[in-house]
Amino acid sequence: MSEQAVTEMSFEQAMAELERVVGQLESGNVPLEQSIALYERGAALKARCEAKLKDAEEKVAAITLDRDGAPTGTVPFDGQ
Amino acid sequence: MIYFSHDDGLNHETPPGHPEQVARLEAIRSALAGFDLDRREAPLGEDADILRCHPQSHIDHIVGSAPTVGWRSIDADTHMSPGTLTAARRAVGGCTAAVDGVLDGESRTAFVGCRPPGHHAERETAMGFCFFGNVAIAAKRALDHHGLARVAVVDFDVHHGNGTQDLLWDEGRALFISSHQMPLYPGSGHAHERGAHDNVLNLPLPGGTGGHEMRLVYEDAVFPALLAFRPELILISAGFDAHRADPLAGLMWETEDFTWLTARLCDVAEAVCGGRIVSTLEGGYDLQALGASVAAHAAVLKERGA
Repeated sequence: MSEQAVTEMSFEQAMAELERVVGQLESGNVPLEQSIALYERGAALKARCEAKLKDAEEKVAAITLDRDGAPTGTVPFDGQ
Repeated sequence: MIYFSHDDGLNHETPPGHPEQVARLEAIRSALAGFDLDRREAPLGEDADILRCHPQSHIDHIVGSAPTVGWRSIDADTHMSPGTLTAARRAVGGCTAAVDGVLDGESRTAFVGCRPPGHHAERETAMGFCFFGNVAIAAKRALDHHGLARVAVVDFDVHHGNGTQDLLWDEGRALFISSHQMPLYPGSGHAHERGAHDNVLNLPLPGGTGGHEMRLVYEDAVFPALLAFRPELILISAGFDAHRADPLAGLMWETEDFTWLTARLCDVAEAVCGGRIVSTLEGGYDLQALGASVAAHAAVLKERGA
């Protein structure tokens, strides 16, 4: 299994692996001894997905909260 | 409280580094050393009791898998040493003898400190460190041998008691309640798994769940279900791996949470079944937390079961 660093993953990559991890945990095929490590990987993936979602929400907020009420394109939220 | 154990449990050896290790039993014995208890040797479990839950072919498979030296692996987690079969029979026998002792009125409470554990063993499948369904076998003995009309099993081990659920799925005289971390091994235990007679109650808990949240779940769901079912005996699958120190799971219970939970289960037992409780060891893999938690659990059972 490739163990790409979670912090380098895109939302799509993290979500895809999270779905795979949850599926494995629910399949009953993961040994008891290893299931906590897999759970922890899943928790890190979930945190990555949530962080990427929050990033996206802030970008959306930056657009909708533009002072003229008009979209400003791609100005980062942090830059305002 | 009657305390059942046996030195044969020390002869169930698992490979080096395995969490379900001989040292667990030693930790429990050290933790209970200072207790004034009615200590008894767990007898060997009888086939007649095991056969209420497992087919003869399963017994034959386990007996036939026992190695004369070294280990034989049943699955990635579950290994037999030359002493495993006898230890597993002691764990069954401890549970059935505990049921007999409590239902015969010798004490209101009993604790079975034996290993290997049992709650993952399904009808025809040994798995998750377990070979025979100790607590389900005890439940069936209470029903079929002693003629009780209703028994309940409460499983607070951090892993879902898939084996007990499998063995009691179509047993309408038994209510099986399990709280467990989800997702985690063995993957079962969803709330929608309800049993053939609506006799299974699963309470999956997310990773990180602490004692406060646990208490709310038990007050809101577990105790009302027990009071409504009115069991004549409450059996406990007492795993202590929901402790925050446990290496195999991610719940955040403290030792005091096991004290609280045991006391509240005693309250319910006193309300519905004369305080009769039989508790048996399941998991718990941090030796220090295991010892402290078993001592906390046993202290309550001793005080309330005098």
